[in-house]
Amino acid sequence: MGQYRYTLRVLVLISLILSSVTVFARGVYQTNQDFLSDTFNDAVPKSKVVWLKGDLASTVTAILGHNYAGLRIRYWRNEQRSVWILEEIGKEKPITFGIVVAAGKIESIKVLAFRESRGGEIRHPAFTQQFKQATLNNMKLDRHIDGVSGATLSVRAMTDVARLALYLDKFTG
Amino acid sequence: MNRRMRSLHRTMGAIVAIFVLILSVTGILLNHTSDFDLDKRHLTSDWLLDHYGLTNTKADAVYLLDRHTISQFGSQVFIDANPVTQSHVPILGGIIIDDLMVLATEDALLLFSPEGEFIERMGESVGVPAMIQNIGLFHGDPVVQTRNGMWRSDFMLDQWEQLSLDGVGWSEPHLMPSSVQDELSQYFRGNGITVERVILDIHNGRILGKYGVWFADLLGAFLVLISLTGLWLWLRRRL
Repeated sequence: MGQYRYTLRVLVLISLILSSVTVFARGVYQTNQDFLSDTFNDAVPKSKVVWLKGDLASTVTAILGHNYAGLRIRYWRNEQRSVWILEEIGKEKPITFGIVVAAGKIESIKVLAFRESRGGEIRHPAFTQQFKQATLNNMKLDRHIDGVSGATLSVRAMTDVARLALYLDKFTG
Repeated sequence: MNRRMRSLHRTMGAIVAIFVLILSVTGILLNHTSDFDLDKRHLTSDWLLDHYGLTNTKADAVYLLDRHTISQFGSQVFIDANPVTQSHVPILGGIIIDDLMVLATEDALLLFSPEGEFIERMGESVGVPAMIQNIGLFHGDPVVQTRNGMWRSDFMLDQWEQLSLDGVGWSEPHLMPSSVQDELSQYFRGNGITVERVILDIHNGRILGKYGVWFADLLGAFLVLISLTGLWLWLRRRL
């Protein structure tokens, strides 16, 4: 009987320790400049801006579910690709995403800076590879994105900016 | 040995029991933040706001641009009494060019419309010089002083040339106007501290300041120790 009580005690303590652990995943993983240099092999084209006005502002609001944090969005485009550096709030703080769009499809998506205390798992390639070759279909991605446990809001943020980048690529292309 | 381990185990248990209870209760509450609306409820008692330093709403930086007061409290940037954006680095100054309000931080320029709407953050990736120390105007053109020298641009802010100029009107900090200070105090006191923040700070020990984090670490070490002594005693009993 005694050993079961000890087993129970140990299990309770282990679960308490685990439940009190907060996963910190904050950090700048790549600067915007390095991301652009990598993407364009150091031949970064001159940036352009798209102003979020009128119908475009309404569409962007519909995609994100709220206004974009800024009246204009800057992007970089050469013959093959457009690159978007977008910020979207996960739970409380903005996450910076770098998105490369080629031929109307996501070529890559990357978390450049993550400021939340939870949900940083979305930066891993094992998760981001789901977005490769995704296109926009009726304002939604053409595929289901598997979530990450405990990172629902971060996953939603990444899905929203992927949709936004695809839409803006088409709008400006 | 067995008796000493049991004694150690009991002593540790007594020490950490109360804190385990606190950790458990606050942990459970944090798991249900949304269910209980803990992130929407605010505490406004004086001693708590004092503890969080909210009674004294002193801005980290204040600049006057035209008829607007720009201020920064921590990472939050205000235009007059309206929170407009976040900057995790200090605002170093501001200018007005054409219809734009431009604030400088060490690594970027923050652009706002005349109505105070956030337009864009322009950093090194769009050609803005790095390591900015101040911003000013020279015959209407924006100029930044950086650790690597002085740079001038035009209203587009995406092409900068390095040069040396005399007579630049540099942005300078100001005192907070009392009317804006009153509005900001109302802003902070009106919201207060969320219950979630207080519970989280109790949970991770930050409610006790920097010592709280060390205390939480110590408690964690105790928990590891009590687990190990418990396991040891259990194994000894089975053998």
